Amino acid sequence: MTEIKHHAYLFDATRCIDCRACMVACSVENNIEMDKTRIWVAGLGVTGTFPNLERGTMVYHCMHCEHPDCMSACPVGAYSKAEDGPVIYNPDLCIGCRYCMNACPFGVPHFDYDKGIVEGAFIDKCTFCPQRIYNGQEPACVETCPTDALEYGERDELIAKAHARIAAHPDRYINHVYGEHENGGTSYLILSHVPFSELGLPELPEEPINEVSEKVMEMTIPFALGWGAVLTAVTVGVAAYDNKKKAAEKQAEESK
Amino acid sequence: MTKTISRRDFLKVGAAGAGALALGQMLPAPVAKAAKASGLLNEAGSGYISSMCEMCVWRCGVRAKIVEGRVVKLDGNPEHPHSRGNLCPRGQSGLMNTYDPDRVLTPLIRVGKRGEGKFREATWEEALDLTASKMMEIKEKYGAEAMVFSSTHNLSQVQFENLLYAFGSPNYGTQRSLCFNAMITAFSLTYGIEEPSRNYEDVEYILMVGRNMMEAISTSETSELAHAVDRGAKLVYLDPRYTKTASKATEWIPIRPGTDSAFLLAMLQVITKHELADCKFVKEYVVGCDDLPKEMSKYTPEWAEQITGVPAATIERVAREYAAAKHNALAHPGWRTSNFINSFQTERAIATLNVISGNVMTPGGCLSAEVAAEGAGLGAPPQPPYPRLSALRLDGTPWKYPLVPLKLGVFQELRDSIVSGEPYQAHGWFISRQNPIMSLPDRAKTLEAFGKMDFIATVDIVMNDTAWFSDVVLPEASYLERYDPLLPVGDKVFIRQPVIEPQGEAKSALWIYKQLGERLGLGDYFQYEDEEDYIRQQLKPLGVSLEEVKEKGYAEMPAEEQVGEITFNTPSGKIEVYSETLKNAGFSPWPTWEEPPMPKEDEFYLLTGKVAQHTQFGTQNNQLLHKYSDEPRLWMNAKTVAKLGLTDGEWVEVTSPVGAVHIMLLATEAIRPDCVYLTPGYGHISKGLKTAFGIGASDSTLHVTYTDPISGGQALSQTFVTVKKA
Repeated sequence: MTEIKHHAYLFDATRCIDCRACMVACSVENNIEMDKTRIWVAGLGVTGTFPNLERGTMVYHCMHCEHPDCMSACPVGAYSKAEDGPVIYNPDLCIGCRYCMNACPFGVPHFDYDKGIVEGAFIDKCTFCPQRIYNGQEPACVETCPTDALEYGERDELIAKAHARIAAHPDRYINHVYGEHENGGTSYLILSHVPFSELGLPELPEEPINEVSEKVMEMTIPFALGWGAVLTAVTVGVAAYDNKKKAAEKQAEESK
Repeated sequence: MTKTISRRDFLKVGAAGAGALALGQMLPAPVAKAAKASGLLNEAGSGYISSMCEMCVWRCGVRAKIVEGRVVKLDGNPEHPHSRGNLCPRGQSGLMNTYDPDRVLTPLIRVGKRGEGKFREATWEEALDLTASKMMEIKEKYGAEAMVFSSTHNLSQVQFENLLYAFGSPNYGTQRSLCFNAMITAFSLTYGIEEPSRNYEDVEYILMVGRNMMEAISTSETSELAHAVDRGAKLVYLDPRYTKTASKATEWIPIRPGTDSAFLLAMLQVITKHELADCKFVKEYVVGCDDLPKEMSKYTPEWAEQITGVPAATIERVAREYAAAKHNALAHPGWRTSNFINSFQTERAIATLNVISGNVMTPGGCLSAEVAAEGAGLGAPPQPPYPRLSALRLDGTPWKYPLVPLKLGVFQELRDSIVSGEPYQAHGWFISRQNPIMSLPDRAKTLEAFGKMDFIATVDIVMNDTAWFSDVVLPEASYLERYDPLLPVGDKVFIRQPVIEPQGEAKSALWIYKQLGERLGLGDYFQYEDEEDYIRQQLKPLGVSLEEVKEKGYAEMPAEEQVGEITFNTPSGKIEVYSETLKNAGFSPWPTWEEPPMPKEDEFYLLTGKVAQHTQFGTQNNQLLHKYSDEPRLWMNAKTVAKLGLTDGEWVEVTSPVGAVHIMLLATEAIRPDCVYLTPGYGHISKGLKTAFGIGASDSTLHVTYTDPISGGQALSQTFVTVKKA
């Protein structure tokens, strides 16, 4: 297997038969507890009226964003974006504030209320199976997929593959690769035959949300310092005025 | 002074010592020891071992990841043609069957009433002695035929059959009449082969009749179909329900249940009338080609429209498209084809469609009728000939069902004969890896049959419903803990081998059958020391060592080259669209229309059909599959739900002529208004299945027993039900 510079997934909703082998594989591979999961099925299921029906479902896990909102929101740096793709969560740094859960536009990080404070493992999400991808194996969810609805590889190549598939079957696909640019790009790319909103995916601007927020947040210190200066000036001014006023009043009284 | 130990004392000490060792696991564990010796596992007991899945009968190759003696993950074996590196959800969850907290790990002997679930633990010695003595008692008192044997499709079945034939009983219950008798009798009579193989390589047009391939997953074939559709092959899918296969089809035709054969006969009429097939080429191989246009002439698309509810124009178009694709068209034979009394005719029409397209006779065609020589090169332990069968089969094969293969029988009729005591009374039942309480139609009657038995023994890995009602439960090692006989696939032969030590006292079926055989005085039929010896004898002609097979997971087996002209294993040596055999048995020699019954106005067709996460009745207790499967509910068309004044999610009572169940309602557009659908396999009554007990409802409680007189198939979709608020 050639070395992958930027690990990514490609999910093709037209191929997915909703068998859930990926979900079981993930559960076993990562020893997930029986009441938890790192992969979900989303979408509207069957739509239309008998007998004109359509089915739209998607499986998804952490999108491994290029500009992760979870990482941006995390006050203690428990999230990091690896240069080769995966978004990594470090339970040792996590304080359990759950900002990442609010920040993620895909609702991926889940808080483990059972373990939480006791064991210090607060958040659960897809790890990109580092134990597999760095040992020449595909992630567990991808390897088992019987219809190749889930594929894994170099992000650029998967994007090219997705566009080639749209070009070969323009009648079959929505002409868009979700995740190529959304929110500054993700490492979980999606092809679909139904509108992406029907699969439960949010409409996101190309510019990462956190780039905007981070620009604002970057202003915090200068802004705080500036505001402090203004307040100091005002305080000093008010005090001076007050002193002057008091002095004048005193003078006036004395002069009476 | 040295105390002398007598031989008797020595034996005692030896036996006690061996017991203590087994319990304390002081001996080096044999699986780990062998795996370490061959380098598959490291010193810590971790690594990968190749074996074979048993979560369904497709038997994918698996690579089991072992960490310190526990199996922690199963991956599809890329070298196995059935998995090619993939596994379905059931395959992925396989280790949870092995680590099911409800496993039975010691032999059990019933102490309470039947069905009370009260058992005591016993030693193998005691449980086997008891089983053998009961079987002998029944044989001596009533004859060997009074013992019923039943088992379902598995790799050790060959030794199960060995046990029953050596015992001398004709009464063998297989699942086949509840599954694919219609398909295999139709194809045996037409092509001379039970199940033709499918080839998707060049397929352009696929016709599937209720073959829900995207949910009834056979990993490699599902994958091939998905890829064929992905590259642009047209899939026309007939099903009253919008299944996941329907959602992937180019065209979904929600046909009226029971009328598939009318649709197919009309296709034959269009193709033969307009001479759309290359009859000259086809004729050479087929009996009945000349008269086919005349015989099919009455089945016009207009006639079929009245019956199927599918517009005549659609039938005509599909027929023309199918014919235009020539030998790149595939009419899929299906699998669980036990739907209606006329399902045999549906299968005959499918067989004929594949013939007139030239598909079957063209090398590389989409359907192959070649008789595979698989397994011919393997050895087997020597054994004496079997004794004469002691009586006719209870189920009417062949005296009532002349065309049902003698070996397969008609399971539901066998059950009925146990209840009626006609033509003679059965007294004992030995069951292995099968759950007739769940699988046979009309559960109340099956329980009645159990009540007629003097003795029932069941071999299984968990306390399934049948074990719950048994007198002795013999705990089998799971498929990850045991050997089974080898499986030839193409030019390789694959092994199922233990990847971990058996838990508790669990033993392989090969061991259990041999032990029973010896106690029944049939030791000569079981001439193998142990499981490994059995497989060594199988491998002998190949000149391959067991160690080599264990390491790779398979051995090469040079396939015999088939040369010369194509012949078919039928009386005429040709494909028999016209069958003299059928005629002589008093049936129509041509594929023909047989009118199935229809529900009354307030009744619904009760449909069942697979979900991707479960296999029949054996996986509902698997916690991983339980976790990721939808809650079983009764599907009903949303408009019908409204019309009946019901609401989505409420509990309803479903009543058939033989039973009633309570189940939660699902209002959906994905089903015809005249049908309801129930996820099969649920409604377990064994409290020994703690995950599955009380979940969903049992379709077998509702199913009425209807047997097709030709194939012996149970008509599973021919039960009509009413639905009301619970």
